[in-house]
Amino acid sequence: MPQASMAGKGKISKRKCNEWFWGLGLVAPTIIGLIILNIIPIIQTFYMSFFKSGDFGKGNIFVGLDNYKKMFADTQVWSAVANTIKYTLIVVPVTIVLAMLLAVILNNKIKGRGIFRTIYFIPMVAAPAAVTMVWRWLYNSKFGLINYVLNKLGIASVNWTDDPNVAIYAIAIIAIWSTVGYSMVLLLAGLQEIPRDFYEAANIDGASLFKQFRKITLPLVSPTLFFVMVTSIIQAMQVFDVIYMMIDVTSPAYDKTVSLVYLFYNNSFKYSNKGYGSAIVMLLLAIIMVITVIQMKVQKKWVKYM
Amino acid sequence: MKKITAILLIALLSMTALTACSNNTETTEAPESTEATTTEAEMAGEDETDAATADEVTLTYAIWDSNQETGLRTMADEFEAENPGIKIDIQVIGWSDYWTMLEAAATGGSLPDTFWMHSNEIYRYASNDMLYDLTNLIASSDEVDMANFPEGLVEIYNYEGTQLAVPKDYDTIGLWYNKTMFDEAGLEYPNETWTWDDLYEAAKALTKDDGSQYGFLAPLHNQEGYYNFVYQNGGIIITDDNVSGYDNEKTIKAIEFYVDFVTEGLSPAIFEDAERAEAMQNGLVAMGYFGSWNLTSFSENEYMAENFNVAVLPASNDGRQASIFNGLGNAIAYNTERPEAAWKWVEYLGSEEGQARQAELGVAISAYNGSSDAWVNSNDTYDISVFIDMVEYAQIRPYSNKTTEWEEKAYELLKGAFTGEKTVEAACREAADMMNKILAEE
Repeated sequence: MPQASMAGKGKISKRKCNEWFWGLGLVAPTIIGLIILNIIPIIQTFYMSFFKSGDFGKGNIFVGLDNYKKMFADTQVWSAVANTIKYTLIVVPVTIVLAMLLAVILNNKIKGRGIFRTIYFIPMVAAPAAVTMVWRWLYNSKFGLINYVLNKLGIASVNWTDDPNVAIYAIAIIAIWSTVGYSMVLLLAGLQEIPRDFYEAANIDGASLFKQFRKITLPLVSPTLFFVMVTSIIQAMQVFDVIYMMIDVTSPAYDKTVSLVYLFYNNSFKYSNKGYGSAIVMLLLAIIMVITVIQMKVQKKWVKYM
Repeated sequence: MKKITAILLIALLSMTALTACSNNTETTEAPESTEATTTEAEMAGEDETDAATADEVTLTYAIWDSNQETGLRTMADEFEAENPGIKIDIQVIGWSDYWTMLEAAATGGSLPDTFWMHSNEIYRYASNDMLYDLTNLIASSDEVDMANFPEGLVEIYNYEGTQLAVPKDYDTIGLWYNKTMFDEAGLEYPNETWTWDDLYEAAKALTKDDGSQYGFLAPLHNQEGYYNFVYQNGGIIITDDNVSGYDNEKTIKAIEFYVDFVTEGLSPAIFEDAERAEAMQNGLVAMGYFGSWNLTSFSENEYMAENFNVAVLPASNDGRQASIFNGLGNAIAYNTERPEAAWKWVEYLGSEEGQARQAELGVAISAYNGSSDAWVNSNDTYDISVFIDMVEYAQIRPYSNKTTEWEEKAYELLKGAFTGEKTVEAACREAADMMNKILAEE
């Protein structure tokens, strides 16, 4: 019994020891899961990025920093970095503003709000691949519903998926549509923790609704908002499935939409160059880490913990 | 009290984990421990696993073409009836995911027992010993003889003297055309005397100015697109010495002719794989190049069955004909636990009987010499005999050890020519540079 042996050390009280035992015991599944599924693969990927990989995991050759040198000279990697950041800059702000708006509206006692909450959350439950398939039909340049409606309104057809200048927005729309519900639910939870009395007091003092939002809602929901922001940015930086389903290597929009993870996938699995793929994904990890560190620093300025 | 329940819970959890383990070991041990009724298999070397065939054996058979699934299922059912104790589990995974799946399975040591092989990938699997060596099995078999298959196909799956797959089928590319649109325009249907000029003139006559109808479909596609034109023009994609042919003058000229269909508005600009067939099925284009493997889906499409037919590919203006030719092979995993059963299935698929059945059912053009008539008779919607006629001058789909990589990257570089961002010549030269770099690494 580990419990007994730990207590045997004497210095720590039995009660504390007991607490630790149960505490560690209860988080152990998560920690073990994280180590096996996340930490070890990260280390292995890092290790892999110094190799020229052989087929089927056999015959890897150590090449030092060659993969990184090749990567820094590869223009496609840099355009993928630009695409990924551009995508994040479109998706995250729009999602958060929309989610905030919806959360505030649905936090009021309006008719059928349960139905609305469900409707907004449904896209999150649907499989991204299936969602993208449906959107692809809508976007189809010749037979799609969207262009059909545009034509009826007298607007020329837009080549949603093949036009290099449009495709990334088309992808962003899908992403916004499918993640706004999730962010909304999180924000809604944050909003519900704000005590009603604050608003009542503000009403008595004659504060306008907008002022109430700025002075009460926003500061008090800021911890949730911060959490939503950090996770949305990380999620957006790792975008893959929507682009993979929509944009083929043969598409003219490929260069303007390929994300880092898509590039990693193509190199690792299509061209079976796992070493180079690993280097690309390490770059993504570095970028995400820098962004997150900056956010953690900046949050002190605007996030208000009660 | 709480503590006790918690401990009980943990105990329970660990119990289930333990039982899960023991369950596993039981299932893996079970087939070996049961009594061995010997099978008549007289193959050398694999007797240890014979016991397994005494019980019901389920073989996995991985394929990538869902159009062939129904026909192959029928064959599998017949095979199961003749070979009690063997069950065939057909798994269909789409073309691009198929190779990702197979690679992961090969790396993890859990390949399907039997599966399709392709010229693009054979080298990687062969050079890494991922495939069962069939040489001796074929030599001692009464059913399968490599002499019965076209030499080019046998060669694809022969690696340094060992035969690693049995040819399954072959395919060529045909010119599919919309009869109704030809009638409307008062044009003669395409025939074997057609040249590039005829194709071009017809495409022009069939194109409507309002963009509702295009004469020809020239998508960014190699096997069902510009490869055919390249070889008709006497160009080349890869030389015997593994050098890229993209900078060959005749190759460039052929691709220029092909891309002109798009730049002159005679073809819609189509880049996505699935949109090609859609353009035909929605009556957007009057002519298009498609492989014989599309037969099932094209026959099932009502609009196409009613309006379309197929002809041989037009020759270049100096009369040279070509059609890209390729064939699949049935392979067995190097580490299959049931080699006898797997060989029985692959042997059946490659036997005269199995090949004839495959042709009759219209699954694909069987590779077995002389079985093509049965395939031609399997379909009365289209004149599919043209696919057989083209074998005479067919050109094996170009391949090397890293085909997938240079093919995909060639797409990335060539699409600029289709969108008009760069000239065909510049795109081809870039493609040649890229390809030579990859080929040098092989």
